[in-house]
Amino acid sequence: MALPLKYHTRYLLVHRATTLLTVLVVAVVVGTFTWMSGFAAALGETLSVAGDPQKMVVVRRGSESEFNSALSMEDFNRLRQLEEIARDPETGEQLLSGEMLVQLQLPRRSDGGKTLANVAVRGLREVGAKVHRDVKIAGRFPGAGQREVIVGAAAARQFVGLEVGKSIALGYGGDRAFQIVGIFTAEGGPLESEIWGNVDTLMNAYNRNGYSSANLLFSTSVDAKALAARLEGPQIQLSGFTESEYWQKQAANIRVYLGFAYALVAFMFAAAVFAIANTMYATVAGRTREIAMLRTIGFRPPHILAGFLLESVLLCLLGGILGCLLCQAWLSMGGAMKDMYGATTFSTLAFVIRLTPMTVLFALLSVCIIGVLGAIFPARRAARIEVVTALRQT
Amino acid sequence: MTMGYVLLQNLRRNPLRTALTATAFALPMAVFVIAISIVLNLAIMSQDLAKQLRAAVHHRVSFTNFLPEGMRSRIQALDQGKNRLTAVCGMRWFGGRVPGAQNIVQSLAADHDTFPIVYPDVAMSEHEIAEWNRERRACVVGKLIAEQYGWKVGSQFSLQSSIPPYQELEFVCVKIVELSSRQSVMYFRRDYLENSLEALGAGPGGCNVFWIRARDAESLLALQRDIDAAFANSPDETKTEDENAFIAGFIQAAGNIPGLMQMLAVVVVVILGLVGGNTMMMSLRERMAELAVFKAIGFHSLRVFRLVLTESVILAIGGAAAGVIPVWALLNLIPLSVPGRGPSMPLTASWQGAAGSLFIAALIGFAAGLWPAYQAMRLKTVNALRNIGE
Amino acid sequence: MSAVDIDLRLVRKVYHKGRMNITVLDGLDLSIEGGDFAVIMGPSGSGKSTLLHLVGGLDSPTSGSVRVGDAHLERMSERELTAWRSRHVGFIFQMYHLVPVLTAAQNVELPLLLFRMSSAERRKRVETALEIVGLKDRMDHRPNQLSGGQEQRVAIARAIVTDPDVIVADEPTGDLDAKTSTEILQLLSLLNSEFRKSIIMVTHDPRAAGFGKRLLHLDKGVLERDERHTHPVQPVAV
Ligand SMILES: Nc1ncnc2c1ncn2[C@@H]1O[C@H](COP(=O)(O)OP(=O)(O)OP(=O)(O)O)[C@@H](O)[C@H]1O
Ligand SMILES: [Mg+2]
Repeated sequence: MALPLKYHTRYLLVHRATTLLTVLVVAVVVGTFTWMSGFAAALGETLSVAGDPQKMVVVRRGSESEFNSALSMEDFNRLRQLEEIARDPETGEQLLSGEMLVQLQLPRRSDGGKTLANVAVRGLREVGAKVHRDVKIAGRFPGAGQREVIVGAAAARQFVGLEVGKSIALGYGGDRAFQIVGIFTAEGGPLESEIWGNVDTLMNAYNRNGYSSANLLFSTSVDAKALAARLEGPQIQLSGFTESEYWQKQAANIRVYLGFAYALVAFMFAAAVFAIANTMYATVAGRTREIAMLRTIGFRPPHILAGFLLESVLLCLLGGILGCLLCQAWLSMGGAMKDMYGATTFSTLAFVIRLTPMTVLFALLSVCIIGVLGAIFPARRAARIEVVTALRQT
Repeated sequence: MTMGYVLLQNLRRNPLRTALTATAFALPMAVFVIAISIVLNLAIMSQDLAKQLRAAVHHRVSFTNFLPEGMRSRIQALDQGKNRLTAVCGMRWFGGRVPGAQNIVQSLAADHDTFPIVYPDVAMSEHEIAEWNRERRACVVGKLIAEQYGWKVGSQFSLQSSIPPYQELEFVCVKIVELSSRQSVMYFRRDYLENSLEALGAGPGGCNVFWIRARDAESLLALQRDIDAAFANSPDETKTEDENAFIAGFIQAAGNIPGLMQMLAVVVVVILGLVGGNTMMMSLRERMAELAVFKAIGFHSLRVFRLVLTESVILAIGGAAAGVIPVWALLNLIPLSVPGRGPSMPLTASWQGAAGSLFIAALIGFAAGLWPAYQAMRLKTVNALRNIGE
Repeated sequence: MSAVDIDLRLVRKVYHKGRMNITVLDGLDLSIEGGDFAVIMGPSGSGKSTLLHLVGGLDSPTSGSVRVGDAHLERMSERELTAWRSRHVGFIFQMYHLVPVLTAAQNVELPLLLFRMSSAERRKRVETALEIVGLKDRMDHRPNQLSGGQEQRVAIARAIVTDPDVIVADEPTGDLDAKTSTEILQLLSLLNSEFRKSIIMVTHDPRAAGFGKRLLHLDKGVLERDERHTHPVQPVAV
């Protein structure tokens, strides 16, 4: 015989003010936590999407990002000799893409264009679209010799002026107009934060005569580690990372940063536990005689204990749901767009913070834990109330 | 006995509640000091930097584009009489890494003749400047880097560049820099770097940034305008930003830690307001009869209002102090640094941060106590007595 | 100081509960001489507490006049009433209503905080009040270390420490056993006879009523009976 749910919900209503304030405390803590989990999840998702297991990023030895890398034509020709590189099953074309990377400063939409972000501009040829096989282009690939670019969907969403038909100024002197002829997606991966153009046209515009890096697909029969070792070896003397390795490295500093923020939120979680405990102690104290009455009519201590735990969890769940709603409201009000430098590049990764079902589920689960932790001692006190003494008490 | 005494005794009425509330105040307040310290330190830093009257001249398209060597004299030529411009110091990113190590040391090559003039806040002594001019491998190292790698004045070490042509250079440390905005950066001589570039057939290298120092704030603004105008419509169009604007770009792009900290600070304030308000409500509910007696024996409504409000403020300050003081003491013992790109964010505790936190806590206590205090004031003595009697 | 008389004329008290009007007192006339000890009895809900609250200046009549000494309570603002109460009335309640975190002496001292008075003077007054109620040796005990009767004595000491003209007591013995009740009632008679305090007391206990000099019966807001005891129970020196 457990206490009916109604008994508890009614009390939550009786002490409306206290219930409301406690629910709000939980809501604010959970809202903050959810925002940060959403942030971490969005970032993690962006980076893990870039996990083509057959793709390798090749850079100059000693360089840890494509931007700081330079490959001469000899370097590139040595790469060409590798028989590990996969070939297009139809055309037999080697799936090796020599690429050039530069940066462009663009205003952010999120703050109305007040601040600028460094956006990556990548030059490649059409074979690049086959190497980066997640990429889907709406529009056409920039033609050879044409001053045309296509923009990643995330970049288009987050920076001002990236619309099909418009032009952006590129080139070393920032004085050559390139027309935007398409938008591309990369299943939400980091490439979506980039702008792509034809490598030869861009090299010309930036007075360059070598690639920055190369991307390649290797045959399924090839072991990634062995290939990386071969690239490092005396014959080629370059560095290769699988794509996921490369992007995970970019997240290193962001992880430290998030770790710090999580530590701070943990403090607030603890505070919420104390706030709940406070409320629950007051509830129990105010109902001492009533609990004694329940005991006399046959409820046993475990029922009382479970009842108060339930009441607290109910209170917290209410807060948790409200917190998730608050967070969602904040995100829909424009707080969702975020971009950050990678650990080794000075160019921006753009992503959108979203509340995934997992995040919400996790938030609600933690909220239940808060509820139980906060109520455990007050509920035990309630369960231990001595009937005779309590009834005699005024 | 005084009213103050009665007030303090009131907090002892329900020690458990007082303790829980104080803890619920202390924990978020610990977060608050940390957050506010970072924001405050950055504000102090940017104030100090503004006094330094420096601006960065970089390529308009991106500071990863190199500006030619010769630009330094062209900038100097804009102010022949040196009425506005103190000095120009070219800088080039080196991005060196201790061989075998993971992390990159923020390392920059700087013109050795003008570096001490443009950066007087680095506070190089005459002796140190002499060393810096004599030894081509000389470098000045930020305190945090020096601590990380165990370098001292006189230490020799080598760094390998992470940008083309990836050369490895050897350095001799001539100074450890304590200045808070330069604790995680290292500077060395650009002529040394250019020589190594030439030896590898990669010279001349050029600069990422030319830092200028002006005589006064007005001159700085004028110079910014003049420099950008002078190079307009050339392949090396420039963008000149004062030091704070230049740094702000990095901070923003590195995840905007100050923004996050401000958000957390606001969240903390909201939480504390709710916690404080809740406690005062609960304790009021239990004390209705007693407050009614206070009024019956002649305590005026305003006195009761003050009584409840003061109690709330004392509770808030007490709880906050329990969170603020340990964190403050801890940060005084072990100063931390928040990871981030560009300037490191020193997380040292300032007394302003601590005092400010306590002040904010007092305000929160005040705000949280207002409604309960108002209710206590409005309390109808007769009704309250009746409700309890029943 | 001459004892203060009380005079109620045509007192009406109406409570509004939603759209309902509850008339508790309807044109009540009552005079109590200075130095009297009036006991009010009557069934529950007859308006006894209401009457006490009016006399004590805790509440104001809907119409009619309430005069205590030369103070016309019905003409006073809330603020004036509060100030008046602190000097002229002492309250005693059934539930004692002591502040649990203060000692007996501190509880008694509480009303004196409203006066400009040196702490030495306050101390003297507190000691005197506690001596009168016979609790001088319990000065530093907290309420939870005292018995119900002792708590009520502390409450009485608190009521008399400001040397009020009138003492208003609502069922002061309602929570006490017969023997303790007798002690409390003897104490009240003593205050009335020795210190010339006018006392109005509500009680349900006929034995308690015997300690008064005058007995009033209230029923449905109307004074039913008004009798004078010629031989009230004499106070015994405590
Ligand atoms: N604030 C109020 N609103 C409405 N009705 C009220 C209010 N206060 C008192 N009453 C009513 O006034 C009537 C008289 O109440 P009062 O407390 O004076 O009775 P009493 O004689 O003291 O009763 P008891 O012996 O039970 O203490 C009651 O019917 C009560 O319901
Ligand atoms: Mg009554």
